[in-house]
Amino acid sequence: MHDRLHGLLKAATLSIALAGAALAPASAQSVDVGKHTPITILINASPWYAGFEAAVDLYSKQTGNKVNLDVTPYGGMLEKARNAVRGASSPYDLLNLDGGWTIEFYEGGFLKPINDVDPSFTLPKEMLTCGNTHWWNAQKRWRTPDGGKLMGVPPNCNVHIVAYRKDLYDKAGLGAPKTYDDVASACQKLQSPPGLYGFVIRGERGNPIRYDFSTFMVGHGGEFVANPQEGDYTVTVNSPKVLAALNQFIALAKGCGPANFGAIGQADLIQLMASGKAASVQVVIAAWSNFEDKTKSAVAGKVAAAAVPAAVPGQKPGVVIGNWSFALPNNATAERHKAALAFLKWFSTAEAQRAYAEAGGIPVRSDTLKSDLASKPQFAWMPAYLASVEASVASLGYAEAAAVEQAIGLRLNQALIGEMSPAKALNTAAAEVETIFSRSGRKTGKLPPLPE
Amino acid sequence: MRHQPAGLIDRTFPYWSLLPAVVVFIVLSLYPLLNLLMMSVSTYRFEGGVEHTTFDPMANLRYFGEDPGLRPAIVNTLIFVFVAVSLELAIGLALAITVSRVSRYKGLIRTLIILPILVPPVAIGSMWRLMYNYDFGVFNQFLSVFGLGPVNWLGDGRFALASVIMVDVWHWVPFIFLILFAAVEGLPSDVVEAARIDGARQAQVTRYIVLPLLRPAIAVAFTFRAILAFKTFDEVFLLTSGGPGTATELISLHLYKVFFAQNNLGYGAMLSVTVILMVVSFLLVSRRATQGGKEA
Amino acid sequence: MGRLSLFQRIFLAGTLAMVVGPFLWILMNSFKYQIDIYQGTWIFEPTLTSYMDVLFSRRSQFTNNLWNSVVVASISTIVALTLGTLCAYSLHRFRWSKWVSGGILAWLLLFHMIPVITLVGPWYLIFRHLGLYDTLTGLVLTHVTINLPMTIWLMMAFFAEVPKEMEEAAQVDGCTRVQAFTLVVLPVVVPGLIAAGVLSFVFSWNEFAIALNLTSRATATVPVGVAKFAQDFEIQHSQMAAASIVATIPAILIMFFGQRFVVRGLTLGSVK
Repeated sequence: MHDRLHGLLKAATLSIALAGAALAPASAQSVDVGKHTPITILINASPWYAGFEAAVDLYSKQTGNKVNLDVTPYGGMLEKARNAVRGASSPYDLLNLDGGWTIEFYEGGFLKPINDVDPSFTLPKEMLTCGNTHWWNAQKRWRTPDGGKLMGVPPNCNVHIVAYRKDLYDKAGLGAPKTYDDVASACQKLQSPPGLYGFVIRGERGNPIRYDFSTFMVGHGGEFVANPQEGDYTVTVNSPKVLAALNQFIALAKGCGPANFGAIGQADLIQLMASGKAASVQVVIAAWSNFEDKTKSAVAGKVAAAAVPAAVPGQKPGVVIGNWSFALPNNATAERHKAALAFLKWFSTAEAQRAYAEAGGIPVRSDTLKSDLASKPQFAWMPAYLASVEASVASLGYAEAAAVEQAIGLRLNQALIGEMSPAKALNTAAAEVETIFSRSGRKTGKLPPLPE
Repeated sequence: MRHQPAGLIDRTFPYWSLLPAVVVFIVLSLYPLLNLLMMSVSTYRFEGGVEHTTFDPMANLRYFGEDPGLRPAIVNTLIFVFVAVSLELAIGLALAITVSRVSRYKGLIRTLIILPILVPPVAIGSMWRLMYNYDFGVFNQFLSVFGLGPVNWLGDGRFALASVIMVDVWHWVPFIFLILFAAVEGLPSDVVEAARIDGARQAQVTRYIVLPLLRPAIAVAFTFRAILAFKTFDEVFLLTSGGPGTATELISLHLYKVFFAQNNLGYGAMLSVTVILMVVSFLLVSRRATQGGKEA
Repeated sequence: MGRLSLFQRIFLAGTLAMVVGPFLWILMNSFKYQIDIYQGTWIFEPTLTSYMDVLFSRRSQFTNNLWNSVVVASISTIVALTLGTLCAYSLHRFRWSKWVSGGILAWLLLFHMIPVITLVGPWYLIFRHLGLYDTLTGLVLTHVTINLPMTIWLMMAFFAEVPKEMEEAAQVDGCTRVQAFTLVVLPVVVPGLIAAGVLSFVFSWNEFAIALNLTSRATATVPVGVAKFAQDFEIQHSQMAAASIVATIPAILIMFFGQRFVVRGLTLGSVK
């Protein structure tokens, strides 16, 4: 509540400031997108929603164009987006799609490529690449700007960061963790269950463990599939690298987390950090606001952000993007496409991104992240986020992603809770993923099994 | 009322009482039902925004053999339904008979008992997850007062399914109670009174007079509760998502993952048909079992 | 009826405590700040911010959701109960061939078994085609459909409790078939009508999957509104608790008055 009031106040003062700025000729950043028909956006409720709402208000105020927001529970977003594009005419002009869902919409031909609406539109160079999940190369069936078409504009490039208790780290003479070994040694110093857990990471079956484990896997140089962008779907889940990553993950999750490490989900993890029971957690940036609001957190002002640690000292950290993307449904009129694109054009400006960030959004422009905002205490996460997002890569960039994630997400969880040895879990997952790919006609195969 | 000879309205009573419900129901259920059957024998592909359907029942059948998640889902579902519905039936029936004998505040008690079914399922899942929380949950707080615990309610494969069943029982006892309480209240009071005058004791009245008269209501309550239990989704999804491991994987969760998350409409629809077949077999077996018991 | 034995008293008190306990716990959480919920504190500074946020914030639109739910649940219950009771009576009382009655009952049951997520797609397409997408009418129609099976089967069971002699006696006294139904049979099954009505209402009130798919901003119902508090990166437990509590109040009131209406209408009718 405080947060929201705060946000509204900020947005209000900002609009006044902007109104003043608009009078001065120096407002070079503003773009004139013209008059358009009202648009309706399918958007999910989220911690960054308040920021988006403020940005939309500013848009309506500046341009006179009307925007309706259909705020939908996260659990209903995919269903509503599918319904919208499968009917005769979409009730929405812009769909906010989770990165994992985009391929289904690209491959199904449900979306309007941006440059089909306006051939001259380009993303500003300051825009983060966000793992390039908003590009689609239909020939290669791969999300890439290389030979691909621009399919959307990301409102949020969600990546992991490590949130840690600055006060506890300082007291113990620890610096920000740079590697998972740092995390482990900090954990050994601080760990004193059940009062304080050194490091908490999600172990819940399915997407939570698959996504949180991926920073370890990519950091070790491992991947699920050999070279999917070139059509080589040889399964590499049971490589020695992935096994090393899994052992590292299990040691941390088990050794530093609470006894229910195999069932920790997003809400549990936030709860442990916010209530002061965790010295550090690996979490997505979108959840950051949970730690800084005094009504939600007992550790407000004591938390600092570090970029994703390196899994192998001296090597690049493995950051995996989990972003969203605004896209245009194909089944709308040209007039509606233009109106939707006008909003995206405006939303990508530095001015819009600043308003978005100030009211609680996670901006997608590097200049906004490097601006004077970053020096303010409430935006102290910005450098860590920028460092993480610039190193980030997309994952599971194929149509079979959901099935692959479910198979791997189960076996990883079984390895974590001790139902299977790590090697056996990875061998099992590899066989299952190979079946998935061979069924859909990909060129696939698998590595020799790990010794169990 | 329309001014017509009462005879006509009365003569056509059997028809106009039946038809409206049947017409509404058929109009709205026929297409989804046929669509489901169609989907279960087809494979789907979307191209250029258009749906391409191929008739290929074997493709979907093949998934059955290759689907490692199916077996645990079926086994867990059967355990879940059997245990949860039995408990709910036993508690609900006992509650209905007990409350019907209360002389005061009957209405209040009934309102209190139905509170759980008024809570939105999404809130039930999220709230119980908090209550089961290992570090802060109310159950472990309670146990610690007696120097016990903490119990890893949702994170330990040995307890997870039982924890989920407990939520289901809490949520759905009111359903059974409501139906059976109405049935008890609707019993012709003279039957029960007559039995009492004959000197039958309370337990005997219940056993030999009330229960047999409640049979139809019990059967319907059981049937519909069992059907809903086979379709249990929201709470489990929010409590455990089927984990840890496959400890709480239910067929409806599995169906959701295939039909919805993987967008595999053909096999998903076939799983949906599987759910229907499971329910039908379950109902037939339990009918056989109870009728066998009656003959014995 | 008679008094309760000690054992029955203990059983009743224990079950009531277990049934009501979690509900009270949710009630308590609705007055907490999120951090007090996280830490599971029992002594806390109570606040109404969650209620304010749920009821008055721009994003939530919960009052709107409540009104939609009141309309949809009430109308769909009235329709399902009326059509369902008539249909059940017809099937129970009149000599339909086994094929007709058995066929109808089997279809009802079979339809009820279908997992909802495989139904909503076709319904979305139908209603979008008919222009009933994003209208309360469309939602009412689907809720009538999902509630008819249980209503009909339940009322069949309650009609089965009514001794046949009662109706025969009424007809001997010169009642028409319609009169025998409305004046003699219905008053006897009032408890059943109430149970079927309450359940129909509750299922419509808490129905999520169909409401999500067939509505948008202006027509969304309570479960869709409550689900907004379960976000991907944050579950707003305090708001969710407050919304759950707020939602039960109109539901209880409507069920209370609806029940009175049924009792009055039917029992007075029988006296006349």
